[in-house]
Amino acid sequence: MQAAPPAQTSVNATRLRSLQALGIFCGFAAGAWLGGAEAPIKLVNPDISPITVSFIMVLGVFLARWSVPAFVRGTSHVRNDVLQAPHLIVWAVLAGCMWAVANTLTIYAIRNVGLSIAFPLWNTNSLLGIFWGFLLFNELHYAGWKRWLGVLGGAVCMFGGATLLAIASSHEAAPGKAALGIFAALGAGILWGTMYIPYRKAYLTGMNPLSFITFFTVGELATMTVLAVTYRGAIPLWHELVGAREVLFWLMLGGFVWVLGDLFQQYATKYVGISRGIPLSNTNQLWGLLWGIFVFHELRGASQTVYAQVAGGSILMALGAVAIALSSATEREHSSWQDAADREGQRYNVEAEYVRAGMEGRAHGTGPTGRTILDWVLILGTTTLFAILAAMARLPHIDISLGWASTLTVAMLALLATCGIALWRTTRFR
Amino acid sequence: MSPSKTDAPRNVFRAIVTDLHFWIPLTVLLGGLILLDKLR
Repeated sequence: MQAAPPAQTSVNATRLRSLQALGIFCGFAAGAWLGGAEAPIKLVNPDISPITVSFIMVLGVFLARWSVPAFVRGTSHVRNDVLQAPHLIVWAVLAGCMWAVANTLTIYAIRNVGLSIAFPLWNTNSLLGIFWGFLLFNELHYAGWKRWLGVLGGAVCMFGGATLLAIASSHEAAPGKAALGIFAALGAGILWGTMYIPYRKAYLTGMNPLSFITFFTVGELATMTVLAVTYRGAIPLWHELVGAREVLFWLMLGGFVWVLGDLFQQYATKYVGISRGIPLSNTNQLWGLLWGIFVFHELRGASQTVYAQVAGGSILMALGAVAIALSSATEREHSSWQDAADREGQRYNVEAEYVRAGMEGRAHGTGPTGRTILDWVLILGTTTLFAILAAMARLPHIDISLGWASTLTVAMLALLATCGIALWRTTRFR
Repeated sequence: MSPSKTDAPRNVFRAIVTDLHFWIPLTVLLGGLILLDKLR
């Protein structure tokens, strides 16, 4: 039997509803951008080592994780935020290390079993996310059976859809390499599912996602550099980087696109928790499938059965996402989150008003405003570097549909704009 | 009696190393590194 919930909650019902709706919208936008991020990798010559591919992507991720916060709110906000809860730097770096290892595993997975089978396997991370959210952060406490059914049923539905897609896609796995690819994809899923513990810890404590990701990426880049130099050797790695100069742009663009998706995922985690935010972000599989089928013609020539499995799996995933989206947290559940937040605040001696303001997406104190010289250096430096790499880039000779690529890109940009405006209006990107 | 300022970093360190939220991700990270080493 559960103990009585806290007597009151400080978030008014209207504000809570708008934050929940915002979090759910961010989850869907994350799905589109995370799914689209895998597309540039498909343009890269398979002769390049997966470790080098991952290293180059992380270089793009690093640039994005510093330049996007500088563009959106300025790095002075980041400094101010981190001073309130400096212990979270440890979790940000730890999560970054996990991301880098998981991302490298996904490249092995894509190479060995294809994008369509790898996606559903590593997307089991949402089930792990629900488990950690419930166990460690009071998510789904006092939620009532309908919301439990919506979230857990939705996640199981998505898992079922993912499995169906995996069966459909297994026809394209290279003989003898399927087991390696499956282990790699499942390993990535476990790493990503557990990586949400640091995410949730940071956001319950009130940290801004834009601050978290700037330290997160230090862990990413450090881990990838160590992995790349250890596995490839410094000189061979350099030669491979020079040899890959024509595809550097595509890989770094993949990293940049991933960061935009991840940023939406971070906001979703902040406002609806990991048990709902992560499954919603995992609609990226549907976007990955759209890119795979329409742009890269991945299932061309497949049988009717395969197409039926793909359609059935996709519908199941979409239904699961809708079920989760309709199961947002009640005031009672939200007050339970606040208990977890208070526990974090007391453990690490963080100011209670900072924690409360962060959870409600409102301002705390009078911080610095505007951008500094450092911000402009980051924005202009990143833009210039991408322009140079784009000038060096070549589109590989593979059969892709530019019309579909443009259509999907426009859809992603529309989601970026509308979700960005909603975040600004509701929280000023807090 | 309130703790001195020099106790603060030690307290934060103690809070981190006794926090299960730290050890679970760290253990999974080490497992991931081992798996990656087997795959390469």
